[in-house]
Amino acid sequence: MRSFEYVAPDSLGGALQALAEHAPQVKLLAGGTDLLVDLKHTLNGPQFVVDIGGVPELKGIEETPAGLRIGALVTHSEIERSRLIAVHAPAMIAAAATIGAVQTRNMGTIGGNLVTCVPSMDSGPVLVALDAQVTVAGPGGMRLMPLTEFFVGPRKTILGPDELLVDILIPAAMLGRSASFLKFGLRKGQALALVNVAASVATEGGRVTETRIALGAVSPTVIRAVKAEAVVTGKEVVDTPALRQAGEVAVTEARPIDDFRASAAYRRELIAVGTFRALDEALTRAAAA
Amino acid sequence: MHQIEVTVNGVVRRAEVPPETTLLSVLRDSWSLTGSKLGCDVGDCGACTVLVDGVSVNACLLLAVQANGRDVVTIEGLGGFEYLHPLQAAFERLSSYQCGFCAPGMIISAKALLDENPAPTDLEIREALSGNLCRCTGYTKVIDAITEVCRDRAGLAGVEEPA
Repeated sequence: MRSFEYVAPDSLGGALQALAEHAPQVKLLAGGTDLLVDLKHTLNGPQFVVDIGGVPELKGIEETPAGLRIGALVTHSEIERSRLIAVHAPAMIAAAATIGAVQTRNMGTIGGNLVTCVPSMDSGPVLVALDAQVTVAGPGGMRLMPLTEFFVGPRKTILGPDELLVDILIPAAMLGRSASFLKFGLRKGQALALVNVAASVATEGGRVTETRIALGAVSPTVIRAVKAEAVVTGKEVVDTPALRQAGEVAVTEARPIDDFRASAAYRRELIAVGTFRALDEALTRAAAA
Repeated sequence: MHQIEVTVNGVVRRAEVPPETTLLSVLRDSWSLTGSKLGCDVGDCGACTVLVDGVSVNACLLLAVQANGRDVVTIEGLGGFEYLHPLQAAFERLSSYQCGFCAPGMIISAKALLDENPAPTDLEIREALSGNLCRCTGYTKVIDAITEVCRDRAGLAGVEEPA
């Protein structure tokens, strides 16, 4: 690894100050599972690494009047074990459990997963399906935005060089919403998603009143399949043909690529099947609730 | 350079390291604890798995400075020639490894699992080991060894002290 200067602030203010002083020659270190790999493989590393592991404002999971607040430094393992998440957003646990292996989940953070912003990230789809918001802090203060606006492209977020992700908020209205996550990979352990899908539904009087579908690994960023959502919303909860049709429509909203893991054509098949299954699972949960 | 102080296998150790040093390299190169192995160096193979504050991590992806003030357990902390940890003994008895390169990480991952879940299912064992790759023999005998340790412990737990 090329050398750098290491700074470990113990407050959000300190972290922002370190960023402001050293941007753009600076990288934030959270769980390190992406950053250290990058640092080992680059000839143009940052001059400064700011370890935010000791910043208390970025930690913890808590229920607030606005919703469920998840600190950017919360690890995937912490999500898997969180009672609050089990109660309010269990689909997040399904997603966290598919990330890397135990060691990766013990180190890697949800904020890091979002900030690294690879299209196949497993944290993104459920959060998008639950209408998550994110708090970004910078020299000008804090701003709250929808997660879908935070994602800009492959490995690119809206964060400026002097900004950082503070936390993720699942709005109160979405807590307990029936949701699902599923992932297709080349194997079960330590696999990157070929396609991952999340869905959430609200139902009333036997009809679907609200649908959110999110797709990962099939576009430059995690996307919502809004046309597919429109196929389902308003339909009866038992309308299986509508769910299948939503799967077909979702395919038209994605832009999957051919790569060494799978062909675009195969990914399109997975989008259709995955969307159907994710909706079916979310509706099954809603019926059981 | 950064001064670090880490409790490793119950012993407080100190080193002066440049910031880009990983925990793995300070364990191996500064403190001669070569049980933890450098395999892929990117967190895929698990040969460098150690416990930090009781949690299994890839020592190749943790900076030594991040381990400052923390408690680290490596394979050397589980047992040695005089005394083998039950997991080490079971791995040996069942020939659970061939070249042995992956074994320290496998055993640390197994310990992390059993510390949290003393009676894992076969599937839970497989999941717990998914971050530890073996390129020789495969995983069947590794799973057998862990299962045997659980069975032995459950047997012991059932033995009642005489009144």
